[in-house]
Amino acid sequence: MNAIEVRHLKKSFGELQAVQGVAFAAEKGEILSLLGPNGAGKSTTISMLSGLLAPNDGDAAIMGHSIRTEPEAAKASLGVVPQDIALYPDLSARENLVFWGKMYGLRGAALKTRVDEVLDIIGLRDRQKDAVGKFSGGMKRRVNIGAALLHKPQVVIMDEPTVGIDPQSRRHILDNVKELNRQGMTVLYTTHYMEEAAELSDHIAIMDSGKVIAYGTHDELIKLVNGQTRIDLTLNVEGADVLDAWKVVEGVNGIDSTDGVVTVLVSDSNLVLPRLFEAAGKLGARITSVDIQEPNLETVFLHLTGRALRD
Amino acid sequence: MKILDLAIKDLSQILRDKKVLLFLVAMPIVFTLFMGFAYNAGESGDENADTRLGLAYVDPQPDSRLSQMLFARLEESDALKVIRLEQAEALDSLRRGEVVGVLVIPSGFGEQDAGGTFRQLTLIAESNSSDGQSLYQLLRVPISQLMSAVEIASISADVQGSPAEFAPALELAWAKWDETSRLERVRLERATARVEESWFGDNPYNQASPGILVQFAIMSLVTSAQILVNERKTRTMQRLMTTAMRPWEMVAGHLLAMFGLVFLQTALLVVFAQFVLGVNYLNEPLGTLLVSVAMCLWVAAMGLLIGVLAKSDDQVVLFSLVSMFLFSALGGTWFPLEASGGAFAAIGRLMPSAWAMTGYQNILIRGLDLSAAWLPTTILLAYAFGFFLLALWRFRKMEL
Ligand SMILES: Nc1ncnc2c1ncn2[C@@H]1O[C@H](COP(=O)(O)OP(=O)(O)O)[C@@H](O)[C@H]1O
Ligand SMILES: [Mg+2]
Repeated sequence: MNAIEVRHLKKSFGELQAVQGVAFAAEKGEILSLLGPNGAGKSTTISMLSGLLAPNDGDAAIMGHSIRTEPEAAKASLGVVPQDIALYPDLSARENLVFWGKMYGLRGAALKTRVDEVLDIIGLRDRQKDAVGKFSGGMKRRVNIGAALLHKPQVVIMDEPTVGIDPQSRRHILDNVKELNRQGMTVLYTTHYMEEAAELSDHIAIMDSGKVIAYGTHDELIKLVNGQTRIDLTLNVEGADVLDAWKVVEGVNGIDSTDGVVTVLVSDSNLVLPRLFEAAGKLGARITSVDIQEPNLETVFLHLTGRALRD
Repeated sequence: MKILDLAIKDLSQILRDKKVLLFLVAMPIVFTLFMGFAYNAGESGDENADTRLGLAYVDPQPDSRLSQMLFARLEESDALKVIRLEQAEALDSLRRGEVVGVLVIPSGFGEQDAGGTFRQLTLIAESNSSDGQSLYQLLRVPISQLMSAVEIASISADVQGSPAEFAPALELAWAKWDETSRLERVRLERATARVEESWFGDNPYNQASPGILVQFAIMSLVTSAQILVNERKTRTMQRLMTTAMRPWEMVAGHLLAMFGLVFLQTALLVVFAQFVLGVNYLNEPLGTLLVSVAMCLWVAAMGLLIGVLAKSDDQVVLFSLVSMFLFSALGGTWFPLEASGGAFAAIGRLMPSAWAMTGYQNILIRGLDLSAAWLPTTILLAYAFGFFLLALWRFRKMEL
């Protein structure tokens, strides 16, 4: 039995088809990442898995319990870390954890012990008496995670738990995820940072526009761009016309530009790079930097969609 | 158990702010004292003093049938003291304050018939004094009825093509008005005349205390219904949905918190009224308990609905205050329903707040026993259930 099994989930908001028949599965004890840009439909998928949104079609099972027919059983084995902080700002970290522990059915000594353990996991034992509202973004995120761990769920779903926080807190959280997984929890981790997906995951499902467009281990996904190289370039001019010229250069398989950095996917950099210089030169533009990258998940996304993943 | 935990969390959040206690308990106590005095002042004075409003009746042709009809009708009223005077005398006594108003009957008033239109009467009174207003209200009904009787009579004379039909038709129409309006008239006069002392029993706080109790129970929703809005704002409601808690358990938890708060408030106010103001709630302790529990359940269920409907804290305050005004004004918490007029009292009777007042007053004023508490309790519980179902329905449909 898979820990998470998602079959053909669909969800529309009016005209917008946010999730269009998504299917994937997470084996027991693994970390599965949902990787995709903002708006891909990751949170919507997770909201359906955690019982916040009713799917328009399809079903999913958590530890074998259907979210449609046995929602309570499905939820009981599930811990959800929502994308937005969901805590009481006027209560202290400890009061928050105690409350959520009770909501997961813990009582008395077991509750107290578990709250202490979780405070240790998230590294906030010495700040437990402070109101959560006064915490930094990173500390809030850690309590937000802690609240989902109290009942030692077999499956944890985390929705972009590292968005907008300092590097130390992010490191702490990534280490937490690995440690929880080492102890046997199955983790479904959504992110739009390909480094996180690469570091954590046993399997990765790449999502875009409401669909899973690729699935596999990190290495399997990289093989999709076999032999292709990604080149990041910068120009001395704002080069919309340069981009147009490069698109039709022979050997260019994908191109995208964000924040002045042009990312080009090529079959053979030795062959294509001179052509790029030449095409730019014809338009009076100069290439100011070239960075040839090993193929990574970013390259895969570019290969699959023609767009860059980074935001 | 989870329901209780959720309720305790809600309560600890509400009571964290010490101002809330002031708002919940101190304010209603001050209001009760004030209202008690206000009712007291309203009734004090010589028991035998004539509280009727003086009206000078000026009519140059006192023998006409129409004038006689009107005069007789006005004289019948318990709320009016009508004296016939000459115009000059009448204006003098108005100036001296001996009468509140002067009603001037135009010459030719008595000669209206099938062809004539109704001639205007003139009321001379201080229009912005409360006595002047009351007088106007007291005169409005009989005069408009007389006008319509004349209309009816002239129409029927017209239809029959015989002016002679006018007089009998007028008599008939007037007699009908007299009959059907007797009830109406009594209510109206009660509303404007001062409330009889006996209404309160022997303690003026007998009206003020339960009235304020019910009013502030609703007002407490200003604080407690915020909880639901906050749960959505902090997204903790969404997180709660991801636990194995069922929707009805969540709703029940919040309901319990609101009930707890309003019941605590009610209990404190009852104790204060009993031991400090001598309002005898413990005359029938179980009856008081039943009515209070049912009233608090109704208020809490209404708070739940407000919490589910309101999109912001501002809306919670607005909805709570509107409910408070609506249910207080219509339900007779500010002044006895018995003292207000027809349609108003009829609608008021249907209000849960009116049933709460009835429940308390059966104990406090009418001195009835436990059996008299059952009906108000049952009706309040039915209201509570209705509001709860409405809130649950809205809750399930809520966009999170
Ligand atoms: N409650 C909602 N109502 C309308 N549109 C929504 C709602 N939630 C999400 N969407 C839309 O659905 C799409 C997917 O959103 P989301 O699942 O949040 O993506 P992600 O988490 O991958 O960034 C987006 O276009 C978003 O604007
Ligand atoms: Mg998201």
